[in-house]
Order: sequence, then C-alpha cells, then structure tokens
Amino acid sequence: MGAAAFLAAALWCAHHTRQAESLPHLQLAYVGPGAGFAFLGSFLTLITGFFLSLASLVLWPFRMAWRIARRRNGYRHARVKKVIFLGLDGLDPRTTERMMAEGKLPNLARLAAEGSYTRLRTTYPALSPVAWSTFATGVSPARHNIFDFLDRDVRSYLPRLSSARVGEPDRVLRWGRWRIPLSRPRLDLRRKSQPFWKILGRQGIGCTILRVPVTFPPEQFDGRLLSAMCTPDLKGTQGSFSQFTTRVEQATYENGSRYPLRRAADGFTGEIEGPPDTFRAGRPPLRIPFQIARQSGAFELRITGDRCRLEPGAYTEWQRLTFRTAARATVTGMARFLVTETEPEFSLYMTPIQIDPERPALPISHPPYYAKYLANLLGAYATVGMAEDTWALNEGVIDEDAFLRQAWDIFAEREAMFLDALENTRRGVAACVFDTSDRVQHMFYRRLGAAHPHAGAIEEMYMRMDALAGKAMAFADRATALFVLSDHGFCAFRRGVNLNAWLRDHGYLHLKNGSGESGPFFAGVDWSRTQAYALGLGGFYLNLKGREALGIVDANEAAPLKAEIAAKLAALRDEDGAAPIRDVYQASSLYRGPYLDAAPDFIVGYNEGYRCSWEAAVGQVSPRVIEENNKAWSGDHCVDPALVPGVLFSNRKISAAAPGIEDLAPTALSLFGMNPPAWMEGRPLV
Amino acid sequence: MTVKLKKDLWAKVAKAAEAAGYSSPEEFVEHVLEREVARLEEAQPGEEEVLRRLKGLGYID
Repeated sequence: MGAAAFLAAALWCAHHTRQAESLPHLQLAYVGPGAGFAFLGSFLTLITGFFLSLASLVLWPFRMAWRIARRRNGYRHARVKKVIFLGLDGLDPRTTERMMAEGKLPNLARLAAEGSYTRLRTTYPALSPVAWSTFATGVSPARHNIFDFLDRDVRSYLPRLSSARVGEPDRVLRWGRWRIPLSRPRLDLRRKSQPFWKILGRQGIGCTILRVPVTFPPEQFDGRLLSAMCTPDLKGTQGSFSQFTTRVEQATYENGSRYPLRRAADGFTGEIEGPPDTFRAGRPPLRIPFQIARQSGAFELRITGDRCRLEPGAYTEWQRLTFRTAARATVTGMARFLVTETEPEFSLYMTPIQIDPERPALPISHPPYYAKYLANLLGAYATVGMAEDTWALNEGVIDEDAFLRQAWDIFAEREAMFLDALENTRRGVAACVFDTSDRVQHMFYRRLGAAHPHAGAIEEMYMRMDALAGKAMAFADRATALFVLSDHGFCAFRRGVNLNAWLRDHGYLHLKNGSGESGPFFAGVDWSRTQAYALGLGGFYLNLKGREALGIVDANEAAPLKAEIAAKLAALRDEDGAAPIRDVYQASSLYRGPYLDAAPDFIVGYNEGYRCSWEAAVGQVSPRVIEENNKAWSGDHCVDPALVPGVLFSNRKISAAAPGIEDLAPTALSLFGMNPPAWMEGRPLV
Repeated sequence: MTVKLKKDLWAKVAKAAEAAGYSSPEEFVEHVLEREVARLEEAQPGEEEVLRRLKGLGYID
C-alpha cells in the first residue's frame, strides 16, 4: 500500500512538473464537448499543488494507519478475499450453450461444470447503458434513471444522451471575438442511485472498475475507475471518424466526415479538424495541417514535426495530436491512421480523436491519474465510449478486415488492463467489461451461415472470449468469487419499425401542412394535435400535458389512451404477415421508483429480426412503417428482453432460481459480509 | 455546497427517501431540487449542437 501511495504521489508530481515545463504556453485542462476550455496551469495552481502534495506526504503515515484500520474492519465479515467480474457485453446464451455443447468453449464449460451457469434476466429495455447501470446499482431503471441511450428534453422534444450532460462553463469572459472560460465545463453523470463499488469503498474494500458502461464522468469513491460507454471523443461527439481523400467530390458521412487531400510534389497535404476553439466567437474548429510523403513503396505521415510510417492496409500506432487554440492553450488527443487506397486515388482513414489518457482534456478516470498510470504502464489506449468504429464500416470507409483488426486491437488494450488489475488485486473487487463481443455481433450477424470469409467471425470471437475467461479463472483461487456475465443476448436485425410513422398512420401523431414525413428531431410535427411520439431505441412517449412543453394528453386520459395504443400496436403486421412486435409494456407496470416519470411510457418488445428503425430513433417520421435494414450493423438486442437474456457463469453455486442482472451488486456486498441496503431491488445469488 | 435543514424535516426527508427507493436522503433532495430548477432553466443547445454530440453513437443514424 505504501508503494502504491508513493507511486500515486510520484505520478501526481510528475504530472504537475510536466505542466510547469510546458509553461509559458497556457495549459489546457478541460475541453468541454461543446462547452469550452478552462485554464488550470496557472502559477497559482502550481504553487497550490506543491503545498498540497507536501501536505499529502506529511500526512501519509496517518492516512495509511487509518486506512489499514478501516480495511481490517471492512473485511471482518467477508466470505471471500476477492470478487472478479468479467463482463462480456452481448454474449448470447443460445450461441454460448451451443458452442459449449460442441466443445468450442472449454473454459466456460469447465466453469459451468465446477461452479454454475445460468441465463441472466436483463433489463427492460435490453440495452447496455440500462443493463450495466442495473448491474452497478442493483436497482431497476426507475431507481437509476437510465432508460435508453437517449432521453428527451421535455421543453424542446430534442434528444439528449441519457447518461451524461456536458454543459458550458458557468463563467465566460467575453471580449470582442474572444471567449475566455473562467470555470470548467459542467459535467453531470445522470445515472442515479449508488454503485456497489462506492458502498464497498466506504467500508475500506478496494475496487478496480474498468470500462463498465455509464461511468462518465467518473464518480469519486475509494477505489479506481476508468470510464466507458458514453465517454465522448475530443470533438465532443460519441466518436466520429475522418476520411482524407483525393476523391474530390465533397460528401459528409452520416457519422464521420470526409475531407479533401491535395496532391503535392511528393505526396499529399491535408488538415485534421479537431475540437471547436471555444476561445473564439463562433467556435471555429481547431485544425492541424499534415503532409503525406511517398517513401519507397510506403508513405510517411508528418504532423507538426512528428513522423510515422504509413503502410497500406496497416494501422499506425496511436498518434498524438496537439491542437493549439487562438489563446495558445493546447489540447491533445490521439488517433490511429490507415491507408485504405493508394492508386489511382489516395484515401486515409483516421479513427475518432480520442481523449489522450496521458493528458485528458476531460476527466476519464478516478482518481484522475489512474488513466495516466494505465497509459504509462501499458501504452496508449482507446478512450472513447464506443471505441470500435462501427460507423466507418457501415459507411464503407473501412472494410471488414480493418474493422476486425481495430476491434481486436482495442480488445488487447483492455485485456492488458484487466490482467494488470487481476495481478494487483489481492483483496477487493476487479471488474472489467469487454465490448468486442457486442460490436462483432452487431457488425457480422449478416455473415452467419453465409459463404463468406467472415462467416466465422462471431464464433471466433466467442472462442477468444472463452480464452479470456480462462485467464481470469487462473486468478480465481478458493477465496475468490468469479462471475462471467453478459448484459443481454443477441439476434438478427433485418427490418426496422418506424413507430412515428405508425403513430402518424393511426392518428396519434400529426405533421404540419399535411406532409407525410418529417426530418429528424420531429421537424414538422404538429404538437398541438400529437398524442404520442417515439424517440430512442426502447419505447415511446405520450405527449402529456404538464410534462411535455406542448403536451395535449390530460393525465386522466392517459391510462385509456395507453391501453388503446398498446392493443393496436400489438396487432401490427409486416408484409408477409409476421408480427414485428411481441409485446408492448407500460413502464408503470414494469418499474417502481422515483425516476419513473422520466421513463418512456411504453417499452416495445420487438420480435427477433426487428428493431426500432434508424430514423424513428432520432424522431424522424418516414413514409413507410417497416423498412429493410441494409447496413452492416445487422445484429442487435433491442428486442423483447425476454428473447435476449444474458449469461452468468460463476465458480460458486448460484442458489437463486431466476437470477437477474440486478442481483450482482447485492451479491458483491453479501460476499464481503455486508447486508444489501433496503433500496436495492436485487438479491444475493450466493 | 451545504444546505441546512431543520432536524425534523431531515428526518421526514430520510423516511420519504427510503420509501420512494432513493439510495440516500441527499439523492432525494437533489432530485426534487433538480426537477424544480429544470422548469426555470434555459433550453438546451440547438439542433445542430444536439446532432454533433450524438454523432457516432453506433445505435442511431
């Protein structure tokens, strides 16, 4: 523990020394996605930091003594020394069970034989941010406030990311064309209740929590945490790639951007577009020029003095990108590059610009130096929430091979972190969630059973997850409880249902000027005549008077209207007579909790093969109710949760008959001898 | 930031928080205040800013 404390102090000092070295240039501590920059590197901060570190060193023996005493007490009633949670996002029970029976998953099969295996009930809806929030807190969505990827602003009907808010700095000095932020951007984690690691931390039981979704911005607690799903990229988006190309026609991809490459004497030149310069009115994007030079069969990328070799078809390592604002403050990010074609046209793909874990522009870990510690120990790593670039594959900017290489590189980074946590956790909790299992299924479901080189991509992924489980099992001695779990299963996504179009066709949603369709975000919707609307992936809402700004449904009309809509929607049929919807659930019958008002009024349980359409998810009203899904994103789990349970393996006997993902948090508390608090809805499993 | 409440009110808050399913009285107080303040807050960023922030989320177009 002493070594850890000294390491922490050393890291802290090193961090601040580097800040001092880089003066007189202004240091940028935070760049808020759409928010602003804040200064941290002032002289005052340096002096304060010095005295704080001095005080920290002087008080260290007393703090250590207090911690040792508290930890002894915390473990007094513990039944285990250590709990390991290995989260494999989206691991499907049907595929897992079949492959275990075929002998393809030997480690998981052994874990099941020696301990337990069961299907794990997921949340309504079966979405990762919802389910992992329930994993963390042991409560249903109505008690943790995460019901979907998106929620809506009831004042404007515009969608918002449900898990976090990144707001403008409270104080900004405006002077001509200058904007000087005087405070940090406001960061707000919208997941409510308390994760089990916070409760354990209070008892002196240390937890290392790696990439569990909905942990951005990181909460303070007595432990270590690296943020995950919904952590933005440096531009403040959820991950937007760039393509630099000599193909001159300008086109902006739906979720990335295409930029021109200009031919030069010995190669090409271009500009990387970074985050907005919030020091300037109008917030123009920061840019870095770069050159690509031909070099004996390959190319060299030159960015602000740094050079790296570009081999066609091979990703570069993470390249640091330093953007300089008009006020000479700097902000750094990282990206990887891939040459995707060389003749006759030249194209270069760049991953979304990640927040640099060594100099994070936004907090991505707790304590703040933990992200830097991991980078120093293991090398640079992807930090954006959904790091695997599914949109680049959807848009054909990278091919399937390139996507898989990227996904498995990210897996390797994550595995190194997880194994480091396992090696360094003698007591307490080590938890890590891997997303590769989810992303590979999303993007390769259409290849299942096809005569295609990637027909086996999903099976190969399951086998690699099994190998990972085997590595975790090696750390699970008799005093360790190991849980391998997924948050939901998977199935095909062939057809999308536009609920807004269905609501229009049945007279519950009206458009202005008699138009039959609208753009995203309900452009053209006549709210004065609209009773219900759909947004997000899980369900839809009534336009309720007193809740929505332009609500028209009276509270006393809501119940019969809900029943009417649910009955009609259940009768929806596809062209071939198939039923796209298995069940329609009313939120008030699913959950009990203080955040129920924020829930969609209906959770839609789609049948296999169907999902909410791409357009309906962002409030668009399309001409047809049901449309083909032609994207590479061909597998999904946004269906009736009863169809996509997760998996749960343990080296302990699981006594509960029908375990749910809400049971894991109270299980962790119980294994360390604590009674789960009354507000937790899950029950201990062992 | 600290807000002081009378002891008897705090006791009622704690009881109500537990009954409602909050994880602490502080969470209850924060939620109630947030809900009230939201009525007075300015609208969120415009459509372009919303689109920018959601860009890249794999599940939506």
